[in-house]
Amino acid sequence: MTDRETEQVSAESALYVFAVCRLPDPTAFAGLPGVAVGEALRRLRFGELTAIVQTVRAADFTDEAWQARMADRGELERYARAHHDVVSAAAASCPTVPLPMATLYHGEERAQQALLAETERFLAALRRTADHSEWGVKVYTAAPAVSVPARTRPATSPGSSRPTPGAGLAYLERKRGAQARRERRHEDSLRLAETVDAAFQGLAAAGRRLRLHVPETTGTSHVQVLNATYLVAEHRAAELGPLTRALQESTGARIDVSGPWVPYSFVGEV
Amino acid sequence: MEREVVPWDNPEPLRGPVGVPLVDLLDRVLATGVVVSGDLVIAIADVPLVRLSLHALLSSVNERVPAPWADGGPL
Repeated sequence: MTDRETEQVSAESALYVFAVCRLPDPTAFAGLPGVAVGEALRRLRFGELTAIVQTVRAADFTDEAWQARMADRGELERYARAHHDVVSAAAASCPTVPLPMATLYHGEERAQQALLAETERFLAALRRTADHSEWGVKVYTAAPAVSVPARTRPATSPGSSRPTPGAGLAYLERKRGAQARRERRHEDSLRLAETVDAAFQGLAAAGRRLRLHVPETTGTSHVQVLNATYLVAEHRAAELGPLTRALQESTGARIDVSGPWVPYSFVGEV
Repeated sequence: MEREVVPWDNPEPLRGPVGVPLVDLLDRVLATGVVVSGDLVIAIADVPLVRLSLHALLSSVNERVPAPWADGGPL
């Protein structure tokens, strides 16, 4: 960033872009606050598409401002939900391509120019996600994560005529047992994830695996083994419930399904 | 889509629908979508520093995930 640009950032307003749509209904998001005080959300036409935008203070959206926001859970949540509200409201009124949180331009002209250059990708994303929704699927192991180290009796070494194998050997075998159990649990988890993923892929148009959530964020002692998301045609969404219940019965795992989401995860790969 | 906007018990100006766990929301609003290069913040989720602090944040978040179907979804 040049000095001139830095000056602009502190002095000027910027344009926050929430989403790109085909012919959005302005009443759909009229009542939403967006991410700035006192500035209405509005439409910005570029070529055959329309962006949902809001004027914000550039100083509120510098890299440093975002770093600070990222470190504050409450702030991050407020912005994430505000962004999501606008995207969801837009998507409820027309086919919508969500943009990632914090996509900003120096002004209308810059935004139009940049977005116009991406028109083909937006159109491809709209084609891909038309009449589809995104559904999140999270799978947790049936047993809580706490492993009770069962005291396995050390197996007597075959053919050994010596009276006692000694503490060293017993320790080693106990360790081996624990290791084997860990590996078995790991394999079971992978198999469970594969089984559920394959089943959902079967009815989805596309699927993606997301990063697994650490136990502290899931609010459960059960281990998350799959965090995936699927692009599902609207006419097949009714199959998700029965499929989930069948999988829960056959695997014993806990399966959380969320949705329908605006297809955030399926507009970036086109 | 998450069509129903429920008042969110938080200070103005931002509010949002309740019920969508933050971790799931962040999985989507940060890392995905059509990545276009903005002028001010360029693809924040791609900046390693941000990812790092975000990871640290998420690791300390004690997010309560509602039971399945608690959102009153169509399932």
